[in-house]
Amino acid sequence: MTGRARARARGRPPGQETVLPSVGAASVQQALVSQAPRQQQLPGLPVPPSVSEEPGGRGRRRGPENIPQHPGRRRPEGLHISTGFQELSLADRGGRRRDFHDLGVNTRKTIEHVQDSKTGSSGSTIKLTANYFRLTSRPQWALYQYHVDYNPEMEARRLRSALLFQHESLIGKTHAFDGSILLLPKRLENKVNEVFSRTRNGEDVKITITLTNELPPSSPTCLQFYNIIFRRLLKMLNLQQIGRNYYNPNDPIVIPNHRLMVWPGFTSSILQYEESIMLCVDVSHKVLRSETVLDSIYSLYYQVEEQRFKEACANELIGLVVLTKYNNRTYRIDDIDWNASPRSTFRKSDGSEISYVDYYKKQYNQEITDLNQPVLISQFRKKSGNIMAGPVVLIPELCFLTGLTEKMRNDFNMMKDLSVHTRLPPEKRQCQIGRLTDYIRKDDNVQKELRDWGLSFDSNLLSFTGRVVQGEKIFQSGKVSDYNPHFADWSKETRGAPLISSKPLDNWLLIYTRRNYDCASALLQNLFKVTPSMGIRMNKATMIEVDDKTEAYLRALQQSVTPETKIVFCLLSSSRKDKYDSIKKYLCTDCPIPSQCVLARTLSKPQTAMAVATKIALQMNCKMGGELWTVEIPLKQVMIVGIDCYHDTASGKQSIAGFVASLNQTMTRWFSRCVVQGRGQEVVDGLKACLQTALRDWFRWNMYLPSRIIVYRDGVGDGQLSTLVNYEVPQFLDCLKSVGKDYSPRLTVIVVKKRVNTRFFTHSGTALQNPPPGTVVDVEVTRPEWYDFFIVSQAVRSGCVSPTHYNVIYDTSKLKPDHIQRLTYKLCHMYYNWSGVIRVPAPCQYAHKLAFLVGQSIHREPSLLLSDRLYYL
Amino acid sequence: MDKNFPEEFTEIIKFTPPLYKQRYQFIKDLVGKYKPKKVADLGCADCTLLWMLKFCSCIEVLAGLDICASVMKEKMHKLSPLPVDYLQPSERSLTITLHHGSVAHKDPCMLGFDLVTCIELIEHLEESELQMFPEVVFGFMAPSIVVITTPNSEFNRLLPGVTLFRHPDHKFEWNRMQFQNWALETAGLYDYSVEFTGVGHPPTGMENVGFCTQIAVFVRKYPRISEFSQSEKPTEAVYKTVFKAVYPSLKDEKYLQNAVVSEVIFTAQIIKQNLLDCLMAEHEEYDDDPTERKSKFQPSKNCFSEDLGKLVVGKSMEPFVNGNAVYIPLRTIFSFPKVNRLCGTFEKLCKLIAGKVTLSSDGSAVMFNTERE
Repeated sequence: MTGRARARARGRPPGQETVLPSVGAASVQQALVSQAPRQQQLPGLPVPPSVSEEPGGRGRRRGPENIPQHPGRRRPEGLHISTGFQELSLADRGGRRRDFHDLGVNTRKTIEHVQDSKTGSSGSTIKLTANYFRLTSRPQWALYQYHVDYNPEMEARRLRSALLFQHESLIGKTHAFDGSILLLPKRLENKVNEVFSRTRNGEDVKITITLTNELPPSSPTCLQFYNIIFRRLLKMLNLQQIGRNYYNPNDPIVIPNHRLMVWPGFTSSILQYEESIMLCVDVSHKVLRSETVLDSIYSLYYQVEEQRFKEACANELIGLVVLTKYNNRTYRIDDIDWNASPRSTFRKSDGSEISYVDYYKKQYNQEITDLNQPVLISQFRKKSGNIMAGPVVLIPELCFLTGLTEKMRNDFNMMKDLSVHTRLPPEKRQCQIGRLTDYIRKDDNVQKELRDWGLSFDSNLLSFTGRVVQGEKIFQSGKVSDYNPHFADWSKETRGAPLISSKPLDNWLLIYTRRNYDCASALLQNLFKVTPSMGIRMNKATMIEVDDKTEAYLRALQQSVTPETKIVFCLLSSSRKDKYDSIKKYLCTDCPIPSQCVLARTLSKPQTAMAVATKIALQMNCKMGGELWTVEIPLKQVMIVGIDCYHDTASGKQSIAGFVASLNQTMTRWFSRCVVQGRGQEVVDGLKACLQTALRDWFRWNMYLPSRIIVYRDGVGDGQLSTLVNYEVPQFLDCLKSVGKDYSPRLTVIVVKKRVNTRFFTHSGTALQNPPPGTVVDVEVTRPEWYDFFIVSQAVRSGCVSPTHYNVIYDTSKLKPDHIQRLTYKLCHMYYNWSGVIRVPAPCQYAHKLAFLVGQSIHREPSLLLSDRLYYL
Repeated sequence: MDKNFPEEFTEIIKFTPPLYKQRYQFIKDLVGKYKPKKVADLGCADCTLLWMLKFCSCIEVLAGLDICASVMKEKMHKLSPLPVDYLQPSERSLTITLHHGSVAHKDPCMLGFDLVTCIELIEHLEESELQMFPEVVFGFMAPSIVVITTPNSEFNRLLPGVTLFRHPDHKFEWNRMQFQNWALETAGLYDYSVEFTGVGHPPTGMENVGFCTQIAVFVRKYPRISEFSQSEKPTEAVYKTVFKAVYPSLKDEKYLQNAVVSEVIFTAQIIKQNLLDCLMAEHEEYDDDPTERKSKFQPSKNCFSEDLGKLVVGKSMEPFVNGNAVYIPLRTIFSFPKVNRLCGTFEKLCKLIAGKVTLSSDGSAVMFNTERE
C-alpha cells in the first residue's frame, strides 16, 4: 500500500489532501478520453527538444509557421501579438489546441427547465467575496477587426507590418497585427481604406484595410484578446512563465532541508462569467527542486538493491515534470531508455547525425559529465502543424525536477515545511492576490497598455451573495444526530451508537508476523471493547502467524481461507508495496473476499489504539456490506452513479475508470465495478457495460428499475467537456435504450470538478474566513452557457477551502436546481471512510478509491462477486 | 532588418546549414577564440545571435541595438534568465541589455566593449547613416574587435529571382572590391587592422564569385583607451533601453548566501542521516535485504557516505548525538567539496550562514533536533 492510499484509508478527510495549491506535477492534466489520439504520435524518430533549432527551444510549439494553416488564408484565428497567443484557441475555430476553458460547449441551451433560471433558493444568505475582478471597458467599447491585403503580395510578416505601420496616422499607435488581421480599439472613418506604401527599393504597394468585424466585448475573439493582453502584462512585470502560470523568481522561498525552492506566482484567466467578463486570479506555487534527474537516479542507486533499481527509477521518475537547463520548457517523463546514453546520436533537421553530448555542447555550451546515464523519453503532448510530433529525448543531467513525487507527498515533515508556505489562510491569500493587482496598478507601462486599449480592472474583489444550506441529520440505528456545521464532522456525535446494519465479525482470519504478535492480540482485545456499542457481534479471529514474506502471507491465505471466511485481516510490518499488492490482488481476483491490511506501526501508539480500533471495526464492517449511517433522501426511485478515473502513469499503460452506483433508497449500499482500459481504448464502452450490470443489480435489489439516474462524473480534465457531451452522454442514453422498450428513465449527468481556481471568502468582523460547509454559489462566477454551481461542502483546518464545481451537462429530470444542489450536498455526507462531509459526492470518492486500488495494486478487474460491497475502502 | 531572409529561399543554391546560421556560427567561433567579456550586436533584430551568445560562458555583458524596437520586443523575453539560472546561479555574472537607437548616433552605453558585431547591417543603412557609421563604431565605441558582414553582390547572379538586391530594404550591395576598399579605408582611418573572409561557398566551377556573405574582421591596433580619455567623450544618452536582464550570479552576495545555506543544510542532513542509520543498524536484529549489487550503471560521482569516510578524519570533526540533538561540526561540512568551492574560506562560511542555520551554542556545529522524527 502506498502511503497515499494509506492516508486515505486511515480517515484523513478526502477533502483535505488537495488543499495544497497546484504544486508541480499535480497540475499536469491527464486525460482519459483523449488518450486514443495520442497514441498515433508515438512513431517517429526520437529527437532532442530543440532540433527545430528555433531559439528558445519553444519554437516548435510556438513558431507561427507551425500553426495549422487553412489553405489560402493566413491563420484565421491568428493574431500574432505575443507568444502567449498561440496557447489559446477556441474550440469552434478548428484549432487542434486544447480549449482549457471548454469555451465552445454550450449545454444549458439543451436543458429546457433552466433556461430562465438555474439558481437554487434554500438556505440562508451569506455575503461572499471571490478571487475575481471585473474587466471594465469604456461604454460602447468594441474591438474592430480589419483584414489587411497587400498588392502586390508581400510575404514577410515583418515587411507587411512595416509597410502598414507607415500609416500610423491613420490607424493609430495602439494596434495588434499578426500579418493579416489588424485589431484596433477605434473605428476608422471608412469601412474600406486604401493606402499606398513604398518599399525602400521603390516598389509601390497598395494596402487595403477592410473592416470585417465589430467585436463586442464578450465575443470569443475579444476574450482571447484579453487573455493575450493580460499575458503580455504579466511578462512586462517580469514574471516567469512555467506551464500555464506565471511566477516571480525574485523572492523565492527556499527550503534547504529538502532541496526545494518555491516560487510564488499566479494563475489567471479572463472569461465571460454569468454577469460580466472577469479576471480570475489565484495564487499558485511552483515547487522547483535544485536537483537534477541524474542526482535523483544516483540517490536511488544507493537506496535500493540492484534488481529493483530500474523499476525504482521508473516508479520515482515517470510522470514527473522536468525543466531543462537550457530552455524554458517543461516536459513530462514518459519513459526511461536504459539502452541509450548521451553518446547516442540523432538526426538533425538538416540531415546530419550528431550525438547528444556534442549537440548540447555546441548548441547550449552544456557539458554532460556522465556518459553512461540513460536518457529520458517524453512524448509530445501537442501535435502542431507540419512537424511530426515524435518522442523527445532528454538527458537526465540537464533536467531539473519540478513538483513533488509521491514519496515526497508522503513525507510528513516535508509537507509540513512546505504547507507553511503554500497553504495560505484566506487573509494571506487575498493579500497575495492583491499583490498582483498592485503590480498592475503601479506599473506605468502596464497601465499605459491598458489605457490605450480602453480597458481596466476593478480594484476590489468581486462580492456577491451566496447561500448556506442547512446541515443534514445523521441517522443511525435508533439515533438521529446533528453535527456542528462549522466542523462538518460527526465522529463525536455518532460514537457509541449502533450502526444501521452491522455484519457479524465471526469467521475471520488475522494474519501477523511473529514480532507483531503483541500488536495483534492488543488489537483483538480493543476490537472486543469497541464493537458491542456499534452493534457488531464479534468472535475471536483465527490467528495465523507467518514469516514476514509475501509468499508466506499468500500461502497462509491459500491454506486457511474457506468459503465461510468473511474477511481477512493482515497485519503488515512494513509498508512494502509489493506485499500489499500481492495480498490485495489475490483477495480481489483469485479468491474474492474482503480484506483489511494494517501496518503494525499504526497500532503501536497506546494513546490512539482505541480510536484506531474503532475506525478499523467500522471499515471492516463496510467492507463486509454493513451500513454506518444515512441522511434523508426525499427523492425516490433514483439511482446515483459516481465515476472517477485513475491514470497509471508509472507503467504508462492503462487507465482505470471506477464506476459506483447506488442500490437502495437510503444510499447506503453501492454496486461497484471498474473498467480497466488499455492505451488507446475508449472508456465509454466499458462504462456502458457497467451501467447495464448496475441496472440488473438494482432490479434484483428493488424488483423494479430506477425512474431517474443521476451520474456524477469526476475525472474530467480541462478541455474535455465537449468529448463528454458528444460521446459519453449519447452512449449512456444508448445503453438505457437497450435495457427495454418501455424503459426510459430520466437521466442527469453532472461533471464534478475539484481542481478549480475559484476561491470564496466570507467576512467575520474584519477578518476574512473560509465560507462554512454547505455554501452554495450559483450566481456571478458561474458561466452563462452552463447549468453549473459551486458547493463548499467540506471544512478545512488550515489554508483556503476549495469549492467543488458542478456542471449539469445533460438533464431530463426536470428537477429544480435547488433539488439538484441539495441532493449533491447530501451525497457528500455519505462517504463511510470519513465521518464528516467530504468535497465530492460519496459515489465519486468511492469510484476514486476503487480506481486507485485497481490502478495501484490489482491492475485488472476485481471479481464481480465483491461488487455489492465497499471492499476497496 | 531582416538578417534571416534572403539566401535560403533560392532553390538552386541551398546552404547547409542555412547561411544565417553559418554567420552566427562564425561569430560564436570567434567568441570561442578571443573570449571577449563584453559583446554588442548592432542591428540585433530578433535577438537570435544574442540568445546564442548568452550560452558562451566567457561573456558577462551582452548588448543589442536596433533601430526597430518592435522587432526586438517580439522575442526579447528569450533573453530573460531561465528558472534554472535561479535554481543554480552560475559563477559568472551576466547582464543583457537591449537598446533602441541608431548606429549613426553615439551613446555612452556602448563604450568599453571587447567585440562589436554588425551582421548584415551596413547594407540597410541610408547613405548619411553609412557615413556616420565608422566614426560611431570605430571612433567612439572603439572595441578591440569589430566584425562586419554584408552580401557579396558578385554572388547575386547565382541567386535566381534576385534582380536588384537580395532584400527590398537593402540600400546597396557591394562587390568584394567595393567592400574591401571601404573596410581598408575605415581601418586605416581608425588604426585597426582588417582581414577578409566569408561564409557560403560558391558552387564548384563558380569559385571566382567568392563567398555569398563577405566578412571583415577588424582588430584594434592600439591598447584599450583609458577610462580618463573615455570620459571626455560625449556622454549624453540617446538610446532608449527596452530590455534589461541581470542574471543571478554567485558574485551577488544574496544568491551566494542562499546557495551556501542550502548546501550546508543539505550536507548536514545527509551526515545526520548516515549517523542515525549507523546507530539504528547497531540496534537492528537483522538486515532485511542483504542483496549483492553489480551494475552496468556505475555512477561516476562519489556518494556521500564514501566522501564522508575519506573526509572525516580528526576526532574533532566527527558528528555526534547528544540527547535529542545531533551536532555536525562546521569543519566537517566545510570539508565537502561543494561547500568548500562555494565559500572558499571557513570564515566566509561562518559569515554567510550566520543567523540562517541553527548552530550549537559555541557556533562550531550545525544542530538538529531529532525529536520531530
